[in-house]
Order: sequence, then C-alpha cells, then structure tokens
Amino acid sequence: MKKSLGKVLATAFLGTALLVSGCSSSQPATTTGSDALEETKELVIYSARNERFVQPLLDSFAEETGIEVKLLSAGESSVNRIMEEKNNVQADVFFSNDTGAMEYLRLEGLLQGNTSQALNIIDPMYRAEDGSWVGLSARTRVLMYNKDLISEEEIPKTLWELTDPKWAGEFMITRGGNSSMVAHIAALRAEWGDEKTKEWIEKVRGNAGAVVNGHGDVRRSVGAGEFKFGLVNNYYFHQQLSEDKDNNVGAIYPDQGADGMGAFVNAAGVALIKGAPNEANARKFIDWILEAEQQKFFAYESMEVPLNPAVEANPIAMRIDEYKVMDMPLQELGPVWVDVKKLIEEAGLDLDL
Amino acid sequence: MNKAPIEMMKEVNTKQEQARYTRAFSGFWLNLWKGNPPGTFLLLVSLLTGLAMLVPLSYVFIRGIQGGVDRWLNLLDTRIPILLYNTLSLTIVVTFFAIVIGLSLAWLVIRTDLPGRKTWQWLLALPLLIPPYVGAITYIIIFGPRGWVRDWLGAPLFNIYDFWGVVFVLTMFTYPYVYLITSAALKRYNLNYEEAARAAGLSYRHVFIKAVFPLLRPAIGAGAILVALYVLSDFGLVAMMRYTTFTAAIYYQMGNYDQVAAAILSVVLILITLLFIWAEAKTREKQRFYQSKGTPRQAPLIELGWWKGPLLAYASIIFGLAVFVPLSVLAYWASVGLTEGVIDQRFWGFAWNSFYMAGMASLICMFLALPVVYMKSRNPSIVSTVVDKLAYAGYALPGVIVALGIIFLFNQYIPFLYGTAALVITAYVIRFLPQNMQAADAALSQVSPRLDEAARISGFRPWQVIVKVILPLVTPGLLAGGALVFVSAMKELPATLLLRPPGMDTLAVRIWVDASEGFYQTAAPAALLLILLSIIPLRWMLSKY
Repeated sequence: MKKSLGKVLATAFLGTALLVSGCSSSQPATTTGSDALEETKELVIYSARNERFVQPLLDSFAEETGIEVKLLSAGESSVNRIMEEKNNVQADVFFSNDTGAMEYLRLEGLLQGNTSQALNIIDPMYRAEDGSWVGLSARTRVLMYNKDLISEEEIPKTLWELTDPKWAGEFMITRGGNSSMVAHIAALRAEWGDEKTKEWIEKVRGNAGAVVNGHGDVRRSVGAGEFKFGLVNNYYFHQQLSEDKDNNVGAIYPDQGADGMGAFVNAAGVALIKGAPNEANARKFIDWILEAEQQKFFAYESMEVPLNPAVEANPIAMRIDEYKVMDMPLQELGPVWVDVKKLIEEAGLDLDL
Repeated sequence: MNKAPIEMMKEVNTKQEQARYTRAFSGFWLNLWKGNPPGTFLLLVSLLTGLAMLVPLSYVFIRGIQGGVDRWLNLLDTRIPILLYNTLSLTIVVTFFAIVIGLSLAWLVIRTDLPGRKTWQWLLALPLLIPPYVGAITYIIIFGPRGWVRDWLGAPLFNIYDFWGVVFVLTMFTYPYVYLITSAALKRYNLNYEEAARAAGLSYRHVFIKAVFPLLRPAIGAGAILVALYVLSDFGLVAMMRYTTFTAAIYYQMGNYDQVAAAILSVVLILITLLFIWAEAKTREKQRFYQSKGTPRQAPLIELGWWKGPLLAYASIIFGLAVFVPLSVLAYWASVGLTEGVIDQRFWGFAWNSFYMAGMASLICMFLALPVVYMKSRNPSIVSTVVDKLAYAGYALPGVIVALGIIFLFNQYIPFLYGTAALVITAYVIRFLPQNMQAADAALSQVSPRLDEAARISGFRPWQVIVKVILPLVTPGLLAGGALVFVSAMKELPATLLLRPPGMDTLAVRIWVDASEGFYQTAAPAALLLILLSIIPLRWMLSKY
C-alpha cells in the first residue's frame, strides 16, 4: 500500500524536478564528437572585457545572423573558469584583454586551431601560431599624468625610473593580479630576468602612493589630482581625455630612447575554445569580427588602437607605428603567465586587494 | 529441481535470518520514531532535502581538510589573521551599533509619547527593504572619492571606504533586525516588574537597567545574532566598499578558481559563525526570566517632556540616512536613466531572469518546507530533528559557500545541468528554505495533531492527511514563506554572480555590474524595482515579529 502511494508521489516529485531542469536548460544538450559541425542557433561567449565594449558588437552579430549570443562577463576569472570546465565545455569563444592569458590556455590544450584566411590581416606577432587566438586591438602601457601637477619634462621617461625614491608617494599602480599588470610584468621579466624584475616590483611597490584595484581607479584619481601620475593602458588615458571634467591629462610612452626597450604592447582579442558546443558559429563570429567595420568599432568604442593598420584609429590615439614597441611576439607571454603571478606575490605586491 | 539438502538448509537459514533481521530492524525503526514512523514519501522528501543542504557543508569541510597542512599553515600565516581581524571587528562593532540604534528606536516608538509614534513604527522598519549593497552604492555616489560631495565642495570630506564608513552603512541597513524584534517584545512584555521597580523608588534610568533591559535581553540577543550573521555573510556591501572580510575573500579566491583556499577560508568562516551562535545561546542560558503571559493593560506612555524635540530629530535623522537619502539618490539616477531610455527590452529580460529563477526557487521551497516541518512536528525522532537542523543551516551559510558546493556538485555529478539556471535555483533553495520553513512551522503549530488523528481514523492514508487536511490549513503560511523566499532570492547577489549561466544576468547582477562601472542610470531603476517588490512580503514580516 505504502509502495504505490510512494510511487505516485515520487513521480510527482521527479516531475517537478524535471520541469525545473527542463525549463532551465533552454539550450539543447551539447553535441559532442560529430564530424561535421552542427548547425546550432546560439553562441556562448565568455568575456574578460568591459561589457560596454562587447555588447553592441554582439547585438549586431545577432541581428545579422539570427544567432542568439549569450554573454557571460566573468572578468579575469574567465581563464580559470574555462580551465575548470574543460571536461564539460560551455563556452565557444573567449574575449580576452590579454594575449598572455590566451596563449596560456592554448598551451594548456584548451584552444582550437583556426586556419581561416581572415586571420591574415593581423600581424603574426599578434596572433597564435595555430590561429587559435587573434589580437584585435593594441593596449600600450603608458604613464598618464595630471598636467596641473607635473610637466612632460619632469615625468619619468623609463619604467626603471619609477624605482627612484624621489617619486615616493607620487604615483599609482594597480594590484599585482590585474591582468594588464601581470602581462606587463611578464614582459619585463622576459626582458630583464627574474632578479631585476623582482627588484623593480619591490621598489615600485614601495614608492607607489596607492595600489588600487583597476585602471579605471587610476585614471580617475590621476585626473582628479589625487596623484601626479599612474601606470595605465593607453586607452584609459584616452578615456580620461574624453571626460567632461578632470581631463587635463597627458601621457608618455616610456623607454623610447635610442637604446630603450620600447613600450609594452598587449592586445585584446578573441580565442576559439576546443570542444566548443557551437563551433561553427564561433568560427563564423571570429571571421566576422575581423572585418574592417567590426575592428574599427572594437577599437573605437574602447579607445584602443586597431592592430590592423589599415583600420582607422581614434584620432586622439597614437597609431601603433608612431612609437617604439618591445619587439617580443606576444606568444612568448604564455609560458610565463602563471609563474609570473608567483613572482609578483613573492616580490611583495599583492595580487588582490 | 532437486536441491542438495545442505543448500536447502542454507536457504531456510537465510530466510529465518532475514526474518529475524527484518524484525530486529522494524523494532529498531519503531523505536527510533517512538512508535510513529512517517510515510515513505514524507521520509524520502525530507531526507533528500537534508542531504541537499548537507552538500555545501560537507564539500567545504572535505575539500578544506584535503587541502593539507601546508596550505592551512600558509593561510594561517598570511591571510587568516588579517581576515579574522577585519571580520570580527566589523561584526562586533556593527552589531553593537545596531543594538544601540535598534533598541533606542524601539523604546521610543513603543513606550514614549514621541509625536507620530504609530507612523514611526513602520517607517523605521523600512531600511529592511533596501538591499545593503544598494545602500552602499548610494553612499558611494554621495561620499565616494568622486561623489557628489567632492563635486560640490572640491573634496570628499572623508574616506567612505574606511572602516567607519563600512560600519556606518552596514548599521543603517541592519539595525531593523534588532528594532523589529525588540519592538515586538516591548509590545507584549509584562508591566508588573517595571511598576514594582518604580514603586521601589528607582529613577527611570535604573528601572530601565534593572527591570526593562533584562526582560528584553532575549529579544535583543535574537536581533543581534541576525545582524551578526548578516555581517558575516555579506558580500555585496563589503566588496562595494572595498573592505575584505572572509566572505569577500572566499569570493575572490573562487574567482581565481583556487577552490582549496576558498574551502579553507570557508571552514574558518563557518567556525566563526558557530562561535557567534554559541555565544549568543550561552549568554541567554545564564539569565532566565519568566514573565506571566500578556498584560491586557496598555502600558502607559512615558512623557518625553523637553526631550521630545531632540529625540524626534534623532528618529528623523536615522530615517533620513537609512531610507530617505538612499531612495532619493536612486530616484535621481533612475530619472536620469528613464530619460536616456534604459528601460528597454534588455532590462525586462533581466527582470524576467530574476523573476523566473526566484519564482522557481520559491515554488520548490514551498514544496519542500512542509514535509520537513510536518515530519518534525508529527513524527518526532532523532532523524527528523537532524533533518530540521540541517535545513536551517542555509540561514547561517553565506551564499559564496553555498555556491562553492554547488559548482562542485554539478560539475562533477550532474554535468548536463551545469551551465543552466538549475545551479542558481538550487543555491536559492539551500539559502532560503529556512525562511519558508519558519512560516510553515508557524502555520502548522496552529493545526492540532488531533485533526491528523481524526483523519487517519476516518481512513485517510498518511499522504491524504497531508494533502487533504493539512495543506489547505497551512497554505497561507506557505505562501507567505514563499513570498519571502521570492524576495530574498531576487536580491541575492554573490551566489547569483558565481553561478549564473551565460546570458542570464538578473537585476541584482546588473545593479552590481553597472554600479561597479559607474553606470548608475542603469543600476538605479533595477534597484528601485527590487525595493518595490520587497514590499510584498513586508506586511507579513512585520506581523511575524
């Protein structure tokens, strides 16, 4: 007697559970191991980029193709999330601000090679050798300064000068775990070696007037005159210039002397995830975003500089061929990307606040 | 078929043994339930609920212990001392101020002739409607390093991000817990002791200390523990104000997918939480007061005399800071947003996601709450008590810890649901089921067990008793609890941030993301919508205390 009523109610319970799961999994079960790429109607994008610069692009892609684009702005945790999900892949495309992170994922075997001809318009220095990721816009590290507080002549001309005690308390940097900071320090390490890089971190950490969470904080505070200058990506300087107030700022590209190492250029770009549930759409999307019109939007909106020199840059930005850049292919950042965080922490700069 | 005699013997033996075991087991079973075992289905649902609740707790402890001595020592050496200091100092100081403000306001509106005291009684409970992270956003808009004050005066006056800034904002949005519970206690407390103390010639100050305060002690303790648990579990406010407590640190570690460090920190946080609960119970144990129930007499109002002005100003200032100012800031930014047309299809999409996931969670909670509560009340045993206690664990478990367990559970064992709304809904159920259970418990306590017995005697099966007799009687309570779950789930931030599937941002997530980037015109309308929705179960909440 009890059994039968148990059955009835258990069925009811399971029914509810299934209803819940059925409603919640609006996407069809992920397809695996098929030879031909299946037609799906959606595209899942994990993005470490500011949503404002991504959403309009995704909207127009969705409109042109009828593919539903699902965005997860997971910030810097995207990389770890993709790694955690490697046996249960959710994302198709990764929008990154940092080629170090993308190359790291490639080395971990989590990206899918891409032989599309569309990639060829980007300089090989700014894309993966197997095409699994491609840079779209340049993010150059600059010293942005408040013109009311300091003149262009006085500002340090090389990064090493930040270690000089005379700048104690005068400038801002971000926390060590900020992805742009990590990539920059990885590049310095490739140039200088471990010892000198550690010394630089220690001294700069000691000299910095404030260590803040993100570059948005740096640009606003320097703009507001809380500090004389700060280490940022160039487009933060462009953004501050376009503010209604606190916009009397300038920027210098460091290490431009005859024997200087040049400014560090990182790139924002897109990567194709291995085992992507909607691979065909992901490939379509990458080809699409490499079209000149999209590249222009991608760089314009965020005030970065397009890596494709044929695409017009925002007039307030310096073109990428107007200054000296570190001559290191961005792929070289991948192998050191993880340990560099350890090095930063050991040198006494906190990864998180 | 011929069977060898030995085999037959064996068979007989096993059969007898089985029968013996069955008898022994049913004896044990009946004993366990004191002769009154629950129906299979009831037991099954309750046990499943208890198990689900156990997932985050057991995951955190197992993962934390597996982390190994080295990770523990490393964290104990580096992060834990600072986090411990940050978390404990904040919790204690906020709880202290919440008691001071909550108790003084409760006394003012219930026991004195404060002008408009009836209106103040509900006005002063309103901060409960404002999610604390929304409150923090509004104060950052005003006093932040680039806030309004800095625009007007050229300098922000003080640093809102320092310890006292965080204390101030947290206190403003948590004092109502103490306020509501002590108000209720003041309303129904026995006047005799107070009058005796007065008759003995004590001044009112002494009367308060010697006669009023001790009687209110349990209520103050109950309110204070709610405040402390809130501070321990809060993520949105402290993260917004850049103050790192354990909960925030766990969230950041999860962002790095360092699950071991997150689990270790979670274990410490759970221990701290238990410590607070234990300490509160302990102080209550020492003092026991009994008062004969209910005084029909209306307590005489204390005349404030010339204190009336200053005290009225005090109540107004608290109300202004905790309700008027935040709402005005939100209204301003919402109007900016409206003129910019941010209430578009996207906005309603987010609203629908919130509604869908919170609604599902509240339906499931209503379904699960009754079996657990019913079993505890009608089939008392160690099992039902454990299940009941487990189900209440969600109360003290911060959302980040719940999320940690759920990611693991789904990624490892239910991969086909990973990446769907099921994760978020499960987190809401674990977090907020206790709210529904309290409501169900209250409703069920009004239904006499005699009614169940009568129904059973007239031939109803156990499940029919629940469905046909109990359910109609407790439905209002269940619905009230469901509404409370719905609103709490709509406002939930950390678990939603960590578990939301791609493309399924909720209003709370949008408030968080947009406000972090300074887009207040899109954050404010969403925040106002959440606050409006919270009014639904407020009536019930106010009458509960």
